[in-house]
Amino acid sequence: MSTDVRPPSANEAIKANSRFLRGTIADGLTRAETGSLSDDDQQLTKFHGIYLQDDRDLRAERGRKKMEKAFIFMARLRVPGGVLTPAQWLAAEMIACERGNGTLRLTTRQTIQFHGIIKSNLRQAIRGLHDALLDTISACGDVNRNVIARVNPWQSRAHGEVAGLAQAIGAHLLPKSRAWHEIWIDGEQIAGSEEQDEPIYGRTYMPRKFKIAVALPPHNDVDVFAHDLGFIAIEEGGRIAGYDVVVGGGMGMTHGEPDTFPRTGDVIGFCSPEQAVDVAEKVVTVQRDFGDRSDRKHARLKYTIERMGLDAFRAELDQRLGYALTPARSFAFTDNGDRLGWVQGDNGAWHCTLFVENGRVRELAGLHAIAELGIGRFIITPNQNLVLADIPPDRKQEVTMLLEQHGLVAPVSGLRRNALACVALPTCGLALAESERYLPDLVTRLEDELERVGLAQDDITIRMTGCPNGCARPYLAEIGLVGRSPGIYNLYLGGAFDGSRMNKLYRRDVDGDAIVAALGTLLRDYAEGRHAGERFGDFAIRAGHIRPTTSGNRFHADLSPELRS
Amino acid sequence: MLPETAPFPADQIVALNRIISGSSAEQRTWLSGFLAGYQAANTPQPATVAPPARRVPLTILFGTESGNAEMLADVARKAAGKLGFAARLLDMADATPAQIAGIQNLLVIASTWGEGDPPQRAADFFAALMADDAPRLENVRYAVLALGDRAYAKFCETGRLFDERFAALGARRVAERVECDLDYEAPAGAWIDGTLGVLQAEVGEPEAGAVIHVDFARPTTGVSGWNRTRPFEAEITERIRLSGSRSTSDTWHVELSLEGSGIEYEPGDSLGFIPRNDPALVDAVLDATGLAANASLRTRLIEQYDITTLTRSPRVEGWQVIDLLESDRRRMSEEELLSLLRPLAPRYYSIASSRKAVPDEAHLLIASVRYEAHGRARHGVASVDVAERRKSGDRIPVFLKPNTHFRLPADPDRPIIMIGPGTGVAPFRAFMQERDAIGARGRNWLVFGHRNYTHDFLYQLEWQDLLKRGVLTRLDVAFSRDQPEKRYVQHALLDARRELFAWVQEGAAIYVCGDANAMAKDVHATLQQVLGADALDVLRREGRYLRDVY
Repeated sequence: MSTDVRPPSANEAIKANSRFLRGTIADGLTRAETGSLSDDDQQLTKFHGIYLQDDRDLRAERGRKKMEKAFIFMARLRVPGGVLTPAQWLAAEMIACERGNGTLRLTTRQTIQFHGIIKSNLRQAIRGLHDALLDTISACGDVNRNVIARVNPWQSRAHGEVAGLAQAIGAHLLPKSRAWHEIWIDGEQIAGSEEQDEPIYGRTYMPRKFKIAVALPPHNDVDVFAHDLGFIAIEEGGRIAGYDVVVGGGMGMTHGEPDTFPRTGDVIGFCSPEQAVDVAEKVVTVQRDFGDRSDRKHARLKYTIERMGLDAFRAELDQRLGYALTPARSFAFTDNGDRLGWVQGDNGAWHCTLFVENGRVRELAGLHAIAELGIGRFIITPNQNLVLADIPPDRKQEVTMLLEQHGLVAPVSGLRRNALACVALPTCGLALAESERYLPDLVTRLEDELERVGLAQDDITIRMTGCPNGCARPYLAEIGLVGRSPGIYNLYLGGAFDGSRMNKLYRRDVDGDAIVAALGTLLRDYAEGRHAGERFGDFAIRAGHIRPTTSGNRFHADLSPELRS
Repeated sequence: MLPETAPFPADQIVALNRIISGSSAEQRTWLSGFLAGYQAANTPQPATVAPPARRVPLTILFGTESGNAEMLADVARKAAGKLGFAARLLDMADATPAQIAGIQNLLVIASTWGEGDPPQRAADFFAALMADDAPRLENVRYAVLALGDRAYAKFCETGRLFDERFAALGARRVAERVECDLDYEAPAGAWIDGTLGVLQAEVGEPEAGAVIHVDFARPTTGVSGWNRTRPFEAEITERIRLSGSRSTSDTWHVELSLEGSGIEYEPGDSLGFIPRNDPALVDAVLDATGLAANASLRTRLIEQYDITTLTRSPRVEGWQVIDLLESDRRRMSEEELLSLLRPLAPRYYSIASSRKAVPDEAHLLIASVRYEAHGRARHGVASVDVAERRKSGDRIPVFLKPNTHFRLPADPDRPIIMIGPGTGVAPFRAFMQERDAIGARGRNWLVFGHRNYTHDFLYQLEWQDLLKRGVLTRLDVAFSRDQPEKRYVQHALLDARRELFAWVQEGAAIYVCGDANAMAKDVHATLQQVLGADALDVLRREGRYLRDVY
């Protein structure tokens, strides 16, 4: 449907020629001389939830030692809604220890990343997940990624319905190709299996990644405005009456290219619970057909909508649906973080949200002991934390003791419990600067400032990424830090605490000292000058430190004069 | 008795009669032979050459692992030749007991390997000789020279067992067995001299009277003439720690300049390296014996003595010299200390390069040995010397040690399978450089292994390049610590058993290099499993199953 005359990007041919995501991956796995795969296969494994990376800490020494880069794979689970059984948690832990780097990385897409898997272990790792009824299908790649949803379906009936929708959408948009099973599980191709088609995606799948989130007010833990497609559940009398539909959100941008920008999604209407899966499919197909397949930096739905205009997009969608979305209902969010500690659900079961700094689970023993109890569920939150859900009341004491025994409930400051960092160095190939390995130290320095001005327990969101692609959703934090080069970050301010407004560039290319100095001053002002209940992001705007970002295409606008380049 | 008319002065006649009358029949026989030979040797040759006297055959049977026994056998052969024997060498790898039964004069030179084992190439002969159905050896005169290393518990075990077995089978021992440690030159030379002298007397050898003396200072290794007592000082031109910074091992690639040495090594050969001891350990030894003030002794301990190996059975398993000294710290005289020590022996490393690729260079692959025992960090003398104390630009003493039993096939078209985990891969880098340089068309299959793929894949980029260019045909790997289950090269071989069988059917030669204790045995068992024990035996006898293990 596109009349584009620009040549398609290289990835389009790779996908088209991949025989539905097979490529030469299976052959590449047998090549003992390299821990890598061919360039094309590296693109294709993403569709299987598997990224080729290398340990960047080691890059400098490798050539001299007559060795190639220290290639390692990252495998990412597909777990719609982030829910694992205790047995699945134990399986994940075992795979991390036996085949990976011994840690589990909980991510902002409510999944687990396994890092440091070398090629010879990859198939065994994936088989181990499969044995635990888990998979990594389409956890990366130009497809619908893991669908995220407000955590904890056991907390209330509405929660359960939201999680159910995430499951249903995830299943509906799952690629039909058997390639994942053939390559990773069976080890051989089943005759004629290449003939299948992808009824929703087609041979070239999506122009770019596609992300879906389902929110349940008043908490916006999924950051519903940050995704290509969002559903905001509208609750009436304990049931889900339907969903407001949000389109065109997305975080990624490229430094120095102002026509790339993060964007908060637009609410375009309301659908019934029964229509939601269909709405998801049709939004996907509009993007499939109208998305930019020439320039991957402009290929997300947010740019499609900017280019088409929201009205034209909505008209195309309505036509494909065969009905119009009804006017959006009203909703109100209070925050986009997690609330730590125990809560009791409607049915009397208990749920405990544990703080996991940056989502990196290194000390596995405590959670192992709890999983061994065989009760409840392990739910990964979109804020990289972990919920022990659905604990029967008579087992709560037992779990509490284990948590204390293993030091899993240590108190943290308001800033730290609202801090997110992407993985970045040493494994992420995109990182320009540290993130996960640096943010905890920076927060420690900021905690000194906060302590001094009496804000130690105030919730303030701070998010850091090592590059501008936005995995930790840094543009939706009150304090955003985006890596520019080693040790150097852009500092963004003015995001809304509930995730409804993006921040804006406040300082360009600053190091840790400058960040602490700038924030120290602002936080002191905030402590002294805030109105009752006023959030730091809102204060920064009211006090004139930063202009509000009203829409994605205004993200780079309204900068202070010295930042205009 | 000499008559008075004998052409001697009267006093000499008396003296000679005293000797003759006091001699045994045997001595008189010997003396007559001696005199006949002496006369022959000192008489100007007649114009026409007399038909050569019948030369007495002598067989020198050797069982060698590192090549020392073979080298000594060759020294003995040359010495015997000078004495007029028709001497020939016989490798135990090619020998059978039945063959031995037909030999009258036999010298046996046997080294001991590992935990008291015969050299692997001699294992079949050893087993056959020990078997109940071994033939009687009544007609054999023999003597045994045993080689070993006192660092191991069963010192010279193989030589001792051979000696006892030959006697038990009825052979007649003509000289006592001599057992040699790593500094074998002097005792081995004396044994060769003495034993040949006795044999000569036994057989009434026609050239009796010629005096030989084995001289190890003469060059024995190729035309270049460098040897362990006169090594070449090779400059280190490059020194790279190949192991990744997170590796649990510590393996170094060392490039030496051989420029001006005339050393002409072949792929498969080794280079001997005379290391220096860790000065800190020397100081600890001096300190424990109250000899710290003796500067000249310190220098000699660094350069000339083995200051780790106990030459007597230690009271405690795993003890070294320093443990003994520190368990009983007391003043010692220099002589007392030195009496505990043996000379510092060279260490041998397979050369990892081909002169056709890097003229005037030799590359070595050295894994530094480090472990802890009895509360003390232990360092491999030579490996850690290179890894820690030598720098680029330094010179180290080296000499060539040919390894004629580990050569590429003469036919460049013959496929080869190279099994070399760890530093065992060194000669195969040399093989590949050689085959690359000469454009050999034979297919090449390397099976490599180590601990971790990411941190221990020695020469990975070079193998990739060789594969890309089609020089290396196939590469299989096994890294033991990458996954819960241990994986070694024999597992990679088993996984590839169909191809392995096919390659051998197509004429491939199999090479194994590396650890003797576990790897070589496990690989051997796997090869037997895949190819059949008899077939593997045939390959070995055809020279298509070659091992260089240590």
